[in-house]
Parts: sequence; C-alpha cells; structure tokens
Amino acid sequence: MTHSLHRKGKKADLQKDYVILAMLSKGINDKFPDSRHRLIQIGEILNEYNPINILPKELWKVSPVITATYTDIKTVKKLIKTLKKEDLGISIVVSGLLEEIQKMVSKIDLKLHTVHYSLGIFGKKELLPSDKILEITTMCGHHCISPQSVWHYVQLIRDKKISVEKAAEKLKKPCVCGIFNLFRAVQILNKIAKDSS
Amino acid sequence: MEIKTDLCIGCGQCIIICPVQAIRLIDNKAIIDQDLCVECAVCYRDAGCPVNAIRLKRLKWPRIIRSPFSNVIATHKITGIPGRGTEEMKTNDVTNRFNINEIGVSIELGRPGVGAHLRDIELFTTKLSKIGVEYEEQSPVTAIIIDKKGHIKEDIKDEFVLSAFIELKIPREKISQVLQIIRDVEEEIDTVFTVGIISRVPENNVDPFVKILSQQGFEIKPNAKVNIGLGKIWK
Repeated sequence: MTHSLHRKGKKADLQKDYVILAMLSKGINDKFPDSRHRLIQIGEILNEYNPINILPKELWKVSPVITATYTDIKTVKKLIKTLKKEDLGISIVVSGLLEEIQKMVSKIDLKLHTVHYSLGIFGKKELLPSDKILEITTMCGHHCISPQSVWHYVQLIRDKKISVEKAAEKLKKPCVCGIFNLFRAVQILNKIAKDSS
Repeated sequence: MEIKTDLCIGCGQCIIICPVQAIRLIDNKAIIDQDLCVECAVCYRDAGCPVNAIRLKRLKWPRIIRSPFSNVIATHKITGIPGRGTEEMKTNDVTNRFNINEIGVSIELGRPGVGAHLRDIELFTTKLSKIGVEYEEQSPVTAIIIDKKGHIKEDIKDEFVLSAFIELKIPREKISQVLQIIRDVEEEIDTVFTVGIISRVPENNVDPFVKILSQQGFEIKPNAKVNIGLGKIWK
C-alpha cells in the first residue's frame, strides 16, 4: 500500500525522510491466527517512536501493511533494534537514503536482504511540474496530491490566510498510507512560498 | 465520477484537489472531463464538497477498469492489496520471489501524477515479451496481457489511469536488454514512467549490476527501498 521508492529531493532533504513498512506475506504468514496480532504489535512499536505520520489506527485491523514515517535515521535505528529484539517474523522495509540505511543495519548486526533501487523518471518529463512541487507530491506514493493544490496552499500561506503547518496537514489529507512527511512538507512549502513571493 | 450540476455552487474545491486536473469550472459549475478522469475518487473523498454534489458513478466495462489502477482504496481482485502494486520485494525475505540469480524490474507508467493510457503498456510488453521475461502473476497489469506477444485486451486500450505498474523478473544476464528497451520506449511514449530495479544483496555486499547500469548511462538514485531480512516463514 505504499510507493515510497521515487520520493524526490536532494540528499540533504532525504536525510529527514525515512518510511518504515511492515507487511504480512499473502498466503504464507497471513494464514496464521495470530498474524494480525503480530502486525498490530509492530504498529504499536512504530507508534512508540514518535513518527511524523503513521497509517491511521482504524486501518491496522484490515490493511496488509502498516507504514510510518520518521525524520531521522537515529530513531529508525532505535526502532529497528526493538523490532529485531521482539522477533515477530514480519517483513520490514526501510525506505530512504541507501547509504544511511546500510550503515544503520550493520551497526545492529543486520544485513540488507533485498534492495529496490530507483532509476528515476523517464519519458515526457516536460509534462511534470517543477522539482519543488514534485518533492511534495511524490511523498504520496499513489499520487493523490495534486500540483495545483500545492500552489493553492502556497498562495494562502503568502497571503497569511493559513499557517504553513496547517497547509501541510491539508495537503496530507488525500494520502491515506501514512507516508506523507509533514516535517519535510513544511520546509518545502516555506521555501516555495519564499521563492515565489 | 460525476458532479451534480444542479447542486454545484462553483466553489472550486474539487478543481484544486483533482490529481489529474480533469475538473474545470464552466458557467460557475464544476464539470468533469470524462476522458481525463481516472476514477481515483480523490474529489469524492477529500474535496469536502459543501453541497455533496460529487458522486461515485456506477461504472460499466471497460471504464470500470480505471478504478483499480487509480483509486488507492480499491482493492484489486487479483492482488488482494489496495493500490496498484504487489508484495514484490517487500516480503522477499519470506517468499524468495527474487532469488540471487534474478533481477526484478518495476516500470510504472504515468507516474508521477501524469497518468497513462492502458495502450501505453503494450509499448513495453510487446518488446519485453520478445526477450522472454516473467511477469508477476499477481500484478493487475499481467491480468490484462492476453498473449505471449505481450498484447493487452483491445477494448481497454483507450482507458486512462493514474498509473499502471509492469512488474517482472529476469535472469541477471538479461538486464542490459531490458535497459535498452527502457531507452527505446522513452523515445516513443507520450507520458512519463518510473523505473525500479530489485536485487537480492550478495553476501559480499557488492552488486555487479550496479556497474552495468552506469555503463548504460543510468543513474541510481540515492534513496531506495530496503528489505532488512526480519521476515521469517512461521512454523
């Protein structure tokens, strides 16, 4: 339920953007009677580490995945350490800067199992909005956030009709997966508003 | 999607929120361009229409196929997963879907946010099928491929969707051929697409295909998705 692979941004920005996903394998682990309980336990652990966003709790009972977003690798390291200790046997995927993830897992005696690399965007790129807008819209993996809504809220911020934090919250609404990074959104909105005024 | 024009007060909330800019204001009424609408239902769920003028239409074939390729809430009949993709590498530590001698390739047409016609899929699948690839059987795209030549169902080709995800795997030695196809299609396609490569990490941590990518002029982005191997087959 997430496409956290092609998030746009410079390395420095991506350092504040990590998505964790826990997933039950269909037809294998989800057959066990306690599988949902284990997945929810992971959700509780993810919640303990103060995510900037998380899949709404009401969906934990039905979704095959639970996702949460964090703004620093240190917190991710701590929570992965906890997940390792709890040993719940559910697949965990960390999305973010590969170099940082690699360092983080080696420090806690884990290994990269499988990597999904991004080669980026191809084709008619002239159809795309600017990179700054894409930094916001690609934080919803299903692309439910429209570029014009970003501009709409930038205009409201510039006119002092809405706070930047409130605008980020409004933009988050169509993204149901809990992977929209509100912290980054605030930073990007501030930058667009400043540069376009 | 449908907007009841007799109810619409022209506030424009739905226009702002539509991910593919399919809604316009004409004579102070919001009108949906049905060719552009991908049936994602974002306007219905999140525009906050003050007069409840936005309605989910009962969709008929072939238009109904737009929904699983666009609406994040719609659970696909085949995958059982809400959204357009499959488990791919996310559970590879349990499923071993991709073994050490294989490479996974994910090509998402229409992403990010531009949309694609389902006919665009054939630009890839007719070429990929010639070199022999294994399409992910759980993928919604695989379900609409009708023959070994990579053709898709004729009556759905004009349907416009938010994105369509081609997922496949190949033996490692075929990666150069797939990369060449990506370059070829890039020249002829009318939309955008993203590319992802899935690889099991060798014991020595050095992945040989990374070199092949740079030799063929591809750049690996610094961010990736990493399965960290905590999944297990339960007993």
